[in-house]
Amino acid sequence: MGLRKFSLVSFLKKNFDFIAGVLSEIGLAAAIIAVAMVICMLLASVKPFL
Amino acid sequence: MAVVLLLFMVPPVSAETGKELVENSVRFDGATVTLRGEVVGVLMRGDYAWVNVLDNGVAIGVWCRANDAENVSIIGDYTHNGDNVEVVGTFHFACTEHGGDLDIHAENFTVLASGTPVERVPNLLAVLLSAVLVALAIFTIFWLRRLRKEKSEIVPWPMSWT
Amino acid sequence: MIPAVTREDLKVIGYNLSKICYVTGAVLFLPIIVAVIYSEFDTIPYFLIGSAIAFILGCLVSHFLYTKKEMELKHAVCMAALAWLLAPILASVPILLSNATASGLDACFESVSGFTGTGLTLTLDIDHLSHSINFLRHFLQFFGDGIGIIVVSLSILGKTEMSSVLAFKGEAKDMGIRPSIVRTSRMIIKIAVAFLIIGTILFTAAGITAGLDPGTAVFDGLNHSMTGYATGGFSTRSQNLLYYHSVWVEVVAIVVMVLGAINFNLHYVVLGGRRREILKNIEVRVLLFMLLTFGLLVSANLLFTNFYTSGEALFRKGVFHVISAQTTTGFQTVPPSQFMLMWPVFSMMLLSAAMVIGGSANSTSGGIKMLRVGVLLKSFWGDVKRVLLPRTAVVRGSFHHIEDTPLTDTVIKGAAVITISYLILFSVGTAITAAHGYGLEDSMFETSSALGNVGLSCGITSPSMPAVLKVTYMFLMWAGKLEIMAVFVLFGFVILGLRKGIKK
Repeated sequence: MGLRKFSLVSFLKKNFDFIAGVLSEIGLAAAIIAVAMVICMLLASVKPFL
Repeated sequence: MAVVLLLFMVPPVSAETGKELVENSVRFDGATVTLRGEVVGVLMRGDYAWVNVLDNGVAIGVWCRANDAENVSIIGDYTHNGDNVEVVGTFHFACTEHGGDLDIHAENFTVLASGTPVERVPNLLAVLLSAVLVALAIFTIFWLRRLRKEKSEIVPWPMSWT
Repeated sequence: MIPAVTREDLKVIGYNLSKICYVTGAVLFLPIIVAVIYSEFDTIPYFLIGSAIAFILGCLVSHFLYTKKEMELKHAVCMAALAWLLAPILASVPILLSNATASGLDACFESVSGFTGTGLTLTLDIDHLSHSINFLRHFLQFFGDGIGIIVVSLSILGKTEMSSVLAFKGEAKDMGIRPSIVRTSRMIIKIAVAFLIIGTILFTAAGITAGLDPGTAVFDGLNHSMTGYATGGFSTRSQNLLYYHSVWVEVVAIVVMVLGAINFNLHYVVLGGRRREILKNIEVRVLLFMLLTFGLLVSANLLFTNFYTSGEALFRKGVFHVISAQTTTGFQTVPPSQFMLMWPVFSMMLLSAAMVIGGSANSTSGGIKMLRVGVLLKSFWGDVKRVLLPRTAVVRGSFHHIEDTPLTDTVIKGAAVITISYLILFSVGTAITAAHGYGLEDSMFETSSALGNVGLSCGITSPSMPAVLKVTYMFLMWAGKLEIMAVFVLFGFVILGLRKGIKK
């Protein structure tokens, strides 16, 4: 008797959609952060000229 | 003689309270302030550290040298009153160096008094009450299950808890 | 004609409420584990007392109000409304006994704020609070708001056309059979736990980077992950996230807040493989539009009033609070009194508007919900088109929420009714707050925070707040979490019972 051998590759394959979905959602949040940072930096750099 | 003594007596430095600083942060911005309070957090950042000092219900972050922060022996939590410290430094209501944080950049950081442990003894009344109520709860669960079972033998009610 | 209230109706509601008692009793056991880990043995009796009371009440109610009658919609709605009162009252027992708050009313307030995922706090000294009580506060938000309300809204409240659009799109369409409540509930819990684990890992890593010791980083990370995903906003520290003085903690908080504000159905389809849905969804588009608009306006306002002058400060203070307000989380990186005494009025008003609009429907967020705002905006645009186009032209509106859905009059009416109800309650709450001597913009800010279940505070919410205001905000938090309608159905039920009496 023994435990089924855990395979990272098969775990990733089996849960690919779930993991990819999570990364997509985190990617959305990261994109929001990136765009916000760029806008803030632009605003701060533009202010002296206004 | 009295006059000489009076001349040599140094009046204690008046400290601003945490509440005063936060509520008048524009007025104090850039000024040298003195804050005395309890340490409730230390976050080491290489050569420097953040020490969060609680005074009168308001905590303010102090940016100080790591050496000063290392002098803090006890951080306030549930079972401890933290070290009492005095910080003299420049107050910023929106520090440009630290992303707009309200903070004090310490020039002088002194531990006035070491923290003390706080004894948290179980309340005897609460212990007794909890024992009684837990016993009552267990009794109620089993007694009502039995009642339901007896009734279901006469009237076919489902003995379902869901 | 509305049928009279019968004894059986009361039994159905009561019998199902007993399950809430059992669940609350079980929830109050968990902090005992934390108390043992941190050797806070003095707090254990408080949780046992609270748990025992909940179980005893549940047993007695389920026995004396036992009924075989099935729940109808009216029972379910009333039960949901009462559950969000009963559970917080039971959970407030340990909070009161531990002297974490000044009074029983404050303990109830804290508990309601927890269960509804608001985050306004009346705790006396968070920095010296026991780990177990602190954990309870955060767990109440994760359980009550992060998991509970979605399960309830999907399984019980999802009967109106709008709700069925929101609730069962992802599953019923694919399966072609009646949606399985149990399967859906399991999926919600699985998603919540997955994001809890991810959030905890990210917060812990950020905490250690910020200079915390690993043990503290894990404890704080777990708790902030719970309240971040639940868009609750409670923190383990009196300074909230300002305690950490760390951009990485704030970035992780933003990620977790956005995850919590996303519609559960969208999570379900995206995590099921349809990743493109994330950008096609109307609520995500409204969220992005709102964040861009409000973020830009608040940042510009803060910059041109010389409040914050660097790009980093504009992001960490301006944009961060816009996201915190829009997702109705309530994480804060400025002291509350700075909002009231220092922030420009225009920025305060924008944050109030963001809080009232809120996050996605069927998410952990509060507020009017972006789906309703999106529907009303589309309806408004449709009406404008009707006027501009020839008379014979047919204007058909639709919106994409998981799939293309026609914009019917019923859907628009449903959105409008809830929006108007929110705005009425918002006005009443603001008036009551202002009547206690607070400024108008501060009253609007705090009211929108309570009603939208946000938790951002400008300093009005405090232990010294008048009792009338505490009760008002508790009502607003409760009504806001139930999206108003359930509260009025309950009131209608009670008034019906009083007017016509309880029939046998």
